[in-house]
Amino acid sequence: MSNLSEPIKRASAPAKKSRKKSRDLNAISPLSNVIFNIAIGLFALSCIFPFLFIIIISFTDEKTLAINGFKLFPEVWTLDAYRFLMESGQQMAQSFGVTLTVTVVGTALTLYLVTTYAYAISRKNFAQRRFFSFLAFFTMLFSGGLVPSYIVVTQVLHLRDSIWALILPSIMNAFYIIVMRTFFTTTVPDAVIESAKIDGATEFGIYTRIVLPISLPGIATIGLFSTLGFWNDWFNALLYIDNANLIPLQTLLIRIQNNMDFVVQNSSRVVSYDIASTLPTETVRMAMVVLATLPVALAYPFFQKYFIQGLTIGSVKE
Amino acid sequence: MKTRKIALLMVALLLALSTVLAGCGGSNTNDTSGNTASGGESGDKDTVKLKVYLIGGPQRDLPMVQEEMNKYLMEKINATVDITMIDWGDYSKRMPVITASGENYDIAFTSSWAYDYLPNATRGAFLPINDLLDKYGQGIKEQLDPRFLTGSQIDGQNYAVPVNKELASQWVWRFNKQYVDKYNMDITKIRTLEDLEPYLQQIKDNEPADITPLAVPKGFKPYLAFDFLLGDEFPVGINMNGDTDKYVNVLESEELKSSLKTIRKYYQAGYLRKDVATLEGIDNIKTGKWFVDREQTQPYAELGWSRSAGYDIVTTPMQDPVIFTGSATGAMHAISANSKNPERAMMFLNLLNTDPYLRNLINYGIEGTHYKKISDNVIEDLPAMKDGFQMPGFALGNLFLTYMHKEDPADKWEAFKEFNNSAKVAPSFGFNFNPDPVKTEVASISAIVKEFYPSIMTGAVDPDEHLPKAIEKLKAAGLDKVIAEAQKQYDEWKAANQK
Repeated sequence: MSNLSEPIKRASAPAKKSRKKSRDLNAISPLSNVIFNIAIGLFALSCIFPFLFIIIISFTDEKTLAINGFKLFPEVWTLDAYRFLMESGQQMAQSFGVTLTVTVVGTALTLYLVTTYAYAISRKNFAQRRFFSFLAFFTMLFSGGLVPSYIVVTQVLHLRDSIWALILPSIMNAFYIIVMRTFFTTTVPDAVIESAKIDGATEFGIYTRIVLPISLPGIATIGLFSTLGFWNDWFNALLYIDNANLIPLQTLLIRIQNNMDFVVQNSSRVVSYDIASTLPTETVRMAMVVLATLPVALAYPFFQKYFIQGLTIGSVKE
Repeated sequence: MKTRKIALLMVALLLALSTVLAGCGGSNTNDTSGNTASGGESGDKDTVKLKVYLIGGPQRDLPMVQEEMNKYLMEKINATVDITMIDWGDYSKRMPVITASGENYDIAFTSSWAYDYLPNATRGAFLPINDLLDKYGQGIKEQLDPRFLTGSQIDGQNYAVPVNKELASQWVWRFNKQYVDKYNMDITKIRTLEDLEPYLQQIKDNEPADITPLAVPKGFKPYLAFDFLLGDEFPVGINMNGDTDKYVNVLESEELKSSLKTIRKYYQAGYLRKDVATLEGIDNIKTGKWFVDREQTQPYAELGWSRSAGYDIVTTPMQDPVIFTGSATGAMHAISANSKNPERAMMFLNLLNTDPYLRNLINYGIEGTHYKKISDNVIEDLPAMKDGFQMPGFALGNLFLTYMHKEDPADKWEAFKEFNNSAKVAPSFGFNFNPDPVKTEVASISAIVKEFYPSIMTGAVDPDEHLPKAIEKLKAAGLDKVIAEAQKQYDEWKAANQK
């Protein structure tokens, strides 16, 4: 790790001008820096600890778990849960594929639609700008609710038991549009568009060759939002999907969760006994959570550089 | 100006449409094609497809089995079925949406505990089926214990076909047999909570500390001979050993007071887990570190429990079996008010409840693939059943037609019938309470119960101090109003039924 950061240090080290220890005027004192670091570190730990715990439980032996309860250092470590998933993993693999497909296709389509829409309403010389802004904004305030949405998806679009039922309902998002529009208006100065026009670029050319490259941080942000959105979406599948081959990963988990709640609520029934026997064990459930969450957690660092650059990128000094 | 008018019109139309679709109250039977079966036994000339929703985990081999079913059904009633399984935990969430969207499905599972029968029937989601039963459901009427149909009536109308199964409910004490044998206990002497004491003491004194004598979670309640209005999580009921014409506050009964004294004593003696009041569930079966708990039973339930535990479990009853309204509505199939083919749907339900071939096909799958026959009505599961076709038998239709497994006692279904016949009927059997007039009170009482019950009922706190507090809070939330409303409806029901 350390040798990786070495060249960066050297590059960013200020030229030696004086032997005196001088501090940047805007920097905070080392003491408060340490305190802040500890505080943020504790916060980060409290975020990551539950997940670590889940990973530990997924490697614990089921019987040990039933007898001792949750322990940070279980007496018996085992790979049984993951072995079980590998062996009966048909559904798991299938669901993983569904989730991946939905996420990739959905995010691509969302980005295309949201950026084009937002760019159009960010341009001041677009005549219907106010109307279309209002159209997007209106859906944030008023929505038809569950039943009308259900009717549209099942009886108007006939999307039941099709993969599009997982993609189309959440493809346009007014909030993303408004974020993106604001981003375009603040980072893409009119001057740039003016000059491109003078150089003879077409409207679409301006959009693809000038506006999009400048706006990468914003697009990455929206991209991450919608990736997470599609990856974690389980409700659409709960409503529209009955075919086992189209069930996404998160819905698989939610179903197990719902069934467990059901068993707890109906614990005095002979019925719940039969259901309980078909549920995966505690450790297997945790292993499923690990497999469902890890890919997204690992994808995050690739987006991070855009967040760090954040909204500081510009193209014209003003 | 003009556009505004049009917009207004659109909004008004939308509103009107959504009210119609939500199917408010109206029994919209007039949009089902009014030709009441002109084709006699085999139904009409054209084939119909019945959309069926059932509860339970989706099964991989269902399409394969469904194809077999459809071959048979085409011959019998000139119809096919399209079955959708919705998982246990999702069923009550999804069915209301499907119903509200006005979808023309034909048959759905309903019960007192999932996609609730009473509110949905009164809301007009289901078709009244008395005429259909007389016309096409004769077989059902012959096979079914008549008490099922009386128990599931709402104002004299049936809205669903109950599954023929165990009708009575009975609480038992379950014992981990190894300790019963070890100390030579005669558990047949045990019936009440008080009877348990010497045995609990024995376990506490002689076994290691991690064996819980009375291993129950926070849902535990001492058994009370009450006919509860809204289940045992709601403190209103009729004392079955007292005045059976009156709904009373269960918490003020002498029976409860003495039971609470006992359970408090047990808690202080360490017979229950110290954290019982916050214990969501308890994993007795898996850990085996328990001596006794309580469970609702049905004939030969202990065989099933022992089988899944891998060690022997024995039981002894706390009460004689009783038939409640809720037990009659434990599993049923309703025909949707939006169904286009109610006649054919009833014919299918009739077959499901009378035809052994079809009934076992939907339950166990295809012979030779999912199971093999050992004798005429005894089967052995094949691996394919565990992998791809595990259906909830009790939720599919007449249980007494299903094949048995070789572990099952030969008189299993006889024992079920015996169990049903031996049961006495609760005073309010057939009475369905409509909580709508006191909805807010019911909701806030339920919330208070959740807060107080676990600690009081498990003896974790002193009942002398906390029970009066709970009663006071419940009265403030309108408990007396609920009791009065229940009494009013009960009296009306009794007058209407000459009881």
